[in-house]
Amino acid sequence: MENEEGLQADGESDPKAPIPVSEVDAWENIRDDDIMQQQSAIRAEEAEKVPFIGDKEPLSVLAAEYESGSPILLKKIKVLGEKYGSIRRTRGDGNCFFRGFMFSYLEHILESQDQAEVDRVTTNVEKCRETLQALGYADFTFEDFFALFLEQLESVVQGKETSISHDELVIRSRDQSISDYIVMFFRFVTSGEIKRRSEFFEPFILGMTNATATVEQFCKSSVEPMGEESDHVHITALSDALGVPIRVVYLDRSTYDIDHVIVNHHDFIPSAGHLPSAGGGSSETTKPIVTLLYRPGHYDILYLK
Amino acid sequence: MTTVNNGYQDNNNNPAVAATKQPLPPAKSVDTQSVLKRLQSELMALMMSGDGGISAFPEEDNIFCWKGTINGSKDTVFEGTEYKLSLSFPTDYPFKPPKVKFETGCFHPNVDVYGNICLDILQDKWSSAYDVRTILLSIQSLLGEPNISSPLNTQAAALWSNQEEYRKMVMKLYKAV
Repeated sequence: MENEEGLQADGESDPKAPIPVSEVDAWENIRDDDIMQQQSAIRAEEAEKVPFIGDKEPLSVLAAEYESGSPILLKKIKVLGEKYGSIRRTRGDGNCFFRGFMFSYLEHILESQDQAEVDRVTTNVEKCRETLQALGYADFTFEDFFALFLEQLESVVQGKETSISHDELVIRSRDQSISDYIVMFFRFVTSGEIKRRSEFFEPFILGMTNATATVEQFCKSSVEPMGEESDHVHITALSDALGVPIRVVYLDRSTYDIDHVIVNHHDFIPSAGHLPSAGGGSSETTKPIVTLLYRPGHYDILYLK
Repeated sequence: MTTVNNGYQDNNNNPAVAATKQPLPPAKSVDTQSVLKRLQSELMALMMSGDGGISAFPEEDNIFCWKGTINGSKDTVFEGTEYKLSLSFPTDYPFKPPKVKFETGCFHPNVDVYGNICLDILQDKWSSAYDVRTILLSIQSLLGEPNISSPLNTQAAALWSNQEEYRKMVMKLYKAV
């Protein structure tokens, strides 16, 4: 569907051509539909290059990408390689954080078969449901997304009729009807958490947007719509709501000393009540379940050696 | 491409069946089922909500096309008016917004002569968290609080500052439903 529309819109390339000043009024006639169609065309193009979730690749592909680029980045990639062995790319369509989180988390459950973690997160999902209800969301607006997430979570636990293999998880993560539903689930969870603790999130939101946006507006315009990119606020909220520790490793050009580059990371550790139970759970001992590589505007999945 | 080829082969291999069988729609039946379920839930919720000043109902037997009404809010220049709208839902609803149009002519900065509405939640700020009820309430509040900075109807935008004259225009162009 999306692709077909994309191709059609792409065929009519006239609206994209530069418009003489005398015809500026013509902009008024460009309907939002056209703009949306053009956006979906751009995304369809992107989609052909990268699936929602790519294959696991050695970290060397990252170095190859910057071969003739910034020496700082190349040094950082080398440092990164001491700890991390591979990368799995996600599609850059504004949902990459959520898609990356989804795959990485479900893959973790599939490989660890940690039933306690499944039970814990299921409990937290129910709390998120109650949060949304308390905030006045109509059940039908979110229940399908919740159901599909719980179904995927259930299916990565082995030994049942509905259990799926790692290959099947990859296939499902590339299926738009599944992937988009899970992204929407995370967007609801994130939005609910931000609104539930609005006094906590408000200063961060004021800091990153045009200072007039309220928490409510921020959630409506930057969290709930598909394709809106994720920032610290989103990651903190999702990590807290589900109780899943997330590490974000930053690959950017910032550096203090070119001879001793360090790769920064930030651990998003959920507040105490939500943490995985075992081991006391102080922030030093909590190991991230999901590790993502951040390059300005984009998140990919990172794997330890 | 693949599906087109398959269809073609089917026709060749079994013309008797092909003659009666319509090509399958691209959308999966499961997805369509969930859209239907969602729209039915929305209809129920809307009927139960008892919000004054808005209403909507599917057209005859097509749940993907609804007709709605919005009353102009009290203490606005639209007070006492009732506007008809149409809502048409795509098969990938609620991932994509419905197309919503005024069927009654509406003199408003963000509505054009064809009834098209310029409202962010119906375009790039759409999310699955919206439903028919919240859409209609948003349009209702848009009536009284237009976005003057990016008007579809420049004449209406220019006149907005003069509420008395604006009210006259609204009533002049308004045809009771």
